[in-house]
Amino acid sequence: VFVWHYFDESASNIEEVGMRLPGTRYQEHGWEQVRKLLGQCSLQAFARCDPAGLLEAGAAHEGLALYVDLVGEALHAASRSARAQASGNSYGDSVLELAFTLLYELQARPGDWSAFCAALSAEERKLGPFWRKPGGDALLRKKVNDMYALLRDKVDADNYQAACGRPCSANRMYAYRMLDTAYGEIARLFQSWREHAAQVGAILGRALDAEPIEARQMKSIGLCRAEWVLRWSESLERFTGSAGPLHTRSKRFASLQDSPDKIGAMLREIGDYEELSANRDQDWLQDGGDAGAWLDDYWRVLGESLEAATPGPDQVLEALQDQLDDHSPPSLDMQVQDSPAAVVIAERVSLPPRFVQMAQLAEDRASWSARMMAGDSLPVRLAVYLKLLGPFDDSYPRDWLDPASGELPTMQQLAALDDVSLPTLRKRRDAAIARLLGAQRNDGELR
Amino acid sequence: MKTSTALDRKLQERLLTAARPDGDRLMLGDAVLLAALDGSRALTAGERAALQASPLTVRRLRQLALERRAAEGMVVHPQWQGSTGMLRAADAGVLHELVTDDRCWTLHFVGSDCNWRVILQLAGDAPFAARLMQDQPLLRVLDGAGQVVLQGRLDSDGECEGAWPFVADPARHFQQAGAAFSVEPIAP
Repeated sequence: VFVWHYFDESASNIEEVGMRLPGTRYQEHGWEQVRKLLGQCSLQAFARCDPAGLLEAGAAHEGLALYVDLVGEALHAASRSARAQASGNSYGDSVLELAFTLLYELQARPGDWSAFCAALSAEERKLGPFWRKPGGDALLRKKVNDMYALLRDKVDADNYQAACGRPCSANRMYAYRMLDTAYGEIARLFQSWREHAAQVGAILGRALDAEPIEARQMKSIGLCRAEWVLRWSESLERFTGSAGPLHTRSKRFASLQDSPDKIGAMLREIGDYEELSANRDQDWLQDGGDAGAWLDDYWRVLGESLEAATPGPDQVLEALQDQLDDHSPPSLDMQVQDSPAAVVIAERVSLPPRFVQMAQLAEDRASWSARMMAGDSLPVRLAVYLKLLGPFDDSYPRDWLDPASGELPTMQQLAALDDVSLPTLRKRRDAAIARLLGAQRNDGELR
Repeated sequence: MKTSTALDRKLQERLLTAARPDGDRLMLGDAVLLAALDGSRALTAGERAALQASPLTVRRLRQLALERRAAEGMVVHPQWQGSTGMLRAADAGVLHELVTDDRCWTLHFVGSDCNWRVILQLAGDAPFAARLMQDQPLLRVLDGAGQVVLQGRLDSDGECEGAWPFVADPARHFQQAGAAFSVEPIAP
């Protein structure tokens, strides 16, 4: 029996193959495990940092940064578990990779974090600090689930738009999935039509006296007809006691209810892509290799427009406010730090004594990023790389890595190296990133 | 010209595409982006601003640019099925080289008497050169009678060398074997 309001959770008891659309990564079998892993790691994070602290922080930005760091650590700690290493989708992403990607998406979307905080606050006003009470974990986990459930659809809607150029929203992604699940249900009923003759009859709109030929003909979701979905949803309450997704009071799918054409087009789109992707499993753009080659195209497109812009009129899909920031590049002087204090601190955080000096020598000072961040300390620069590219990347010089972990030093180590508090380091790091973003808007700077 | 390292490029890519501003959506249609990519219509100032303010639109541009590059790769390096060539009248006497009709391959013969070697050489300007150098397929040279003259893979200089497998010297052999030859890939 479905409770459509939460069908994400309850759908796992039916055959869950999952849906694929251009660009989507979170709609397949592995999602349940991604959600559970993020829930589990979030609870660990909240055990180390009471939600009350995060809510009181007031500056939501600080709370989000701390949450992301703590969950990231918990994910690292769980990275060898069977759940983390399980396959998450047919593109070869593991559950762990998908969880990390979603966490980084959250980091870039403070609005989602604020909504989560608001939801926690609302519960807190009713129940007090419920997370400290027995069983409070379950409610906390549910709030986390809700946040990631919405986030995954936002992320996949963006992925879809980037992949195929057609507009999409989280709601639309949710509707695709509802239709995919509905198709799965209808297919299951068709398969056992004898046991469900009345319901299958209601779906087909006629009484059954023999095996319906439709049951044999519906070989894929693309062949599922919109009116079957509508009739299935309409009659679901009669057969199972709970309203069908297109017929709930929530009106979530109200716009589809009277539009069999739209439903049909969406079903066919899922079916077409299923067929296409079954023959071609590598349509996700691969990392590495020539993946960065598009940057040259990007700068060329901007450059040609700057040199000789088409006079107009603009073919922008909607008017946009121009917010180009100017910036002045920082000085190129970088002092190599090797003070006795630096040596002592490096040893205190279990890094090689000459870590700072060696790491600075390993930097390519002529590089754009080093020049842009020349005014920042080495720990701040490394913190920027840590945030944007993660703890390990092929392009990191070996001398940047902590020999113990084979990765960049942690934020804690970097803060100690810089002799500043963790929040200060975060602030400086974020300021440096903002500066990089500003610099990047100034096109010519990157050539 | 300023230095741009692999690290820079990754960082720039992340900076351009990682932000998720509220309400971001596709600001430019595919037609506008593709025309800008192929140089047929530069972006207007407004479109340029729209692109720069929308990481999602930049991601769409990225996808189109990569698809375009992949498609170009296919056009520039078409599938090569094989090349053929003939022994010319002027090749009588001592034979030093044979060239295929498409001028993409040269067979060099070096040595003398009973000690000949044969070298297959790919022309650098062959339309499929890059593709072959990358794919490194197994190649075979046949004479006009269908006998194998040479078989192997190109080295990094685009050459493949082997001992001359016949008793007769190259000129005489080709005269006897249909005065023709072919170079072809062997399907894996």
